Amino acid sequence: MSTTPQLSFVARYSLVLSLAVFLAAALLLPWVGAGSISLSRVLRRQEPDYEILLQLRLSRTLLALIAGGALSLAGTLFQAMLRDALATPYTLGISAGASLGAVAVIAMGWETFLGIPMTWIGALVGAFIVLIIVIGGAFRQRQISAFGLLLTGMAINSICAAFILILSGFAGLSRSFSIARWLIGSIDATSYTSLAVLATVVTSVSAMILSQARNWNLLAVGERWAASRGVRVGSMLAQGYMLGSILMAGSIALTGPIGFVELIVPHLVRSRISSDHRILLPCAFLLGGTLLALCDTIGRIVIPPAELPAGAVLALIGGPYLVWIIRQRAPAEEI
Amino acid sequence: MNCLLEVDGVSFAYGSRSVLDSVNFRAEQGEFLALIGMNGSGKSTLLDIVSGFRRPEAGSVVVSGRRQEDWKRREMAQHISHLPQSIHADLPFTAEQLVGMGRYPHTDSWFESEEDHRHIRTAMERTSSWPYRHRSFQALSGGERQRVLVAACLAQNAAVLLLDEPSTFLDIEQQLHCFSVLRDEALAGKLCIAATHDLNLALTYCTRLLVLANGVIAWDIQTVEAHDNKAWLELFSKRLQIGKTPSGTPWVWYQ
Repeated sequence: MSTTPQLSFVARYSLVLSLAVFLAAALLLPWVGAGSISLSRVLRRQEPDYEILLQLRLSRTLLALIAGGALSLAGTLFQAMLRDALATPYTLGISAGASLGAVAVIAMGWETFLGIPMTWIGALVGAFIVLIIVIGGAFRQRQISAFGLLLTGMAINSICAAFILILSGFAGLSRSFSIARWLIGSIDATSYTSLAVLATVVTSVSAMILSQARNWNLLAVGERWAASRGVRVGSMLAQGYMLGSILMAGSIALTGPIGFVELIVPHLVRSRISSDHRILLPCAFLLGGTLLALCDTIGRIVIPPAELPAGAVLALIGGPYLVWIIRQRAPAEEI
Repeated sequence: MNCLLEVDGVSFAYGSRSVLDSVNFRAEQGEFLALIGMNGSGKSTLLDIVSGFRRPEAGSVVVSGRRQEDWKRREMAQHISHLPQSIHADLPFTAEQLVGMGRYPHTDSWFESEEDHRHIRTAMERTSSWPYRHRSFQALSGGERQRVLVAACLAQNAAVLLLDEPSTFLDIEQQLHCFSVLRDEALAGKLCIAATHDLNLALTYCTRLLVLANGVIAWDIQTVEAHDNKAWLELFSKRLQIGKTPSGTPWVWYQ
């Protein structure tokens, strides 16, 4: 009996289903919000329905779909590279670096540069500096090891967290509040130009990550295992860390450091669908985006007219869910 | 017979601690070598170097007539498979997915072909791991995991098999079966090198013993001559004795 048809069926079925859920979220969630929108008014391009749908809710939903997908994909990638189901891009310092960059510009009171929000620039610069430091720190005996990346990343994470606290303490009351608000992470309406840039970067980086799916499978087992099956381990780890960091930095710049999506979604897909990265990576992207868009929608309808940040909704749903998943696991399958 | 492997003057150190100091040996197609030695004698390091995972500080490794550094990584993986001493498979791959990874160096297609699946099934059947192919690797016992890992090496269908303690965690029946499978691979024209602490398995199934001590190959003897030259045994323990089984195979016991 061949197992090929079964594998293909599972792959096809889960991918198609994930894509359907993703597209459904893109089409339906913009219609959900504190105020109702009339389809007929939108079709006639009548204000304010047309404006609310197109300029506010649709761009916001698309941002959540792209950023959630990127965060989830980066989480899946880092968990494979570090062989740890609890590893996240937050463990590796990138998001702390991006956060520190953004927090620094908020603390300085810088708002825009050539029309670009300074928090974006700060986050990208912060992430890039951390990327260079971590790669440099993990480089030992002409090679990069996952262990080196993990240790250096954790050290940088702690240093960045300390600087964030210091900056927040000296920033004054209103700026300190802005920093705290930014650090929770939220999805806001954004321009379609920014969305197009983010979508282009995320799509191309995700495609590069996906094209190496078999190598992530091998690295998820072990470095010797991967090396003896044709992987150039050092360069693959450096490549993965850089690609994951670009995804993280791009998303965090626009949304702030939203946690949990990169932990829960890979875990969910791995336990319910497959741990094979050829299936896991695309499903994690599609379902990660859907989950963040859903949380953002819940956040804007639960206590109208006020809104809960998507990051807070995600943590409130994700935390208990993660505990429940861990309790469901058999003892031999501990994380 | 073709010379598949030439290790010439290979040295390696972890920091200031020298592990290998000018190791030399050659191995041919059809041989099954037992790499034996005390703990920390450098067996795993030597296998790492031969597999290309570590670079030697001095010396060279020639595989099928080509220097190791002239091989591309993937090309090397089609030629040499390596079973590490331990892996940390925390992610819940199924047994079949792990064995399937042995086919990666041979194909560019997104999923395994029918031919790949034939190799996977044959390898798993040979190590008696096919019945639990759908189970998560994490949920398997130590012995079941080891059989899966050996199957992954077999599925790679390489000319040279490097196995670091392949019989670890296996019950006696499975230890015998594992070494018997490796001997069959050698008889089919491959080169198998197994690092092991089980001298009797080595004497029963292997064609040659490489004894690593003090960073060099202290003894390189044919298994059939192991009984006549007992000095190699003293490297392990003064309490060891060697005799022969009724069928004539050398056999070690301790007093």
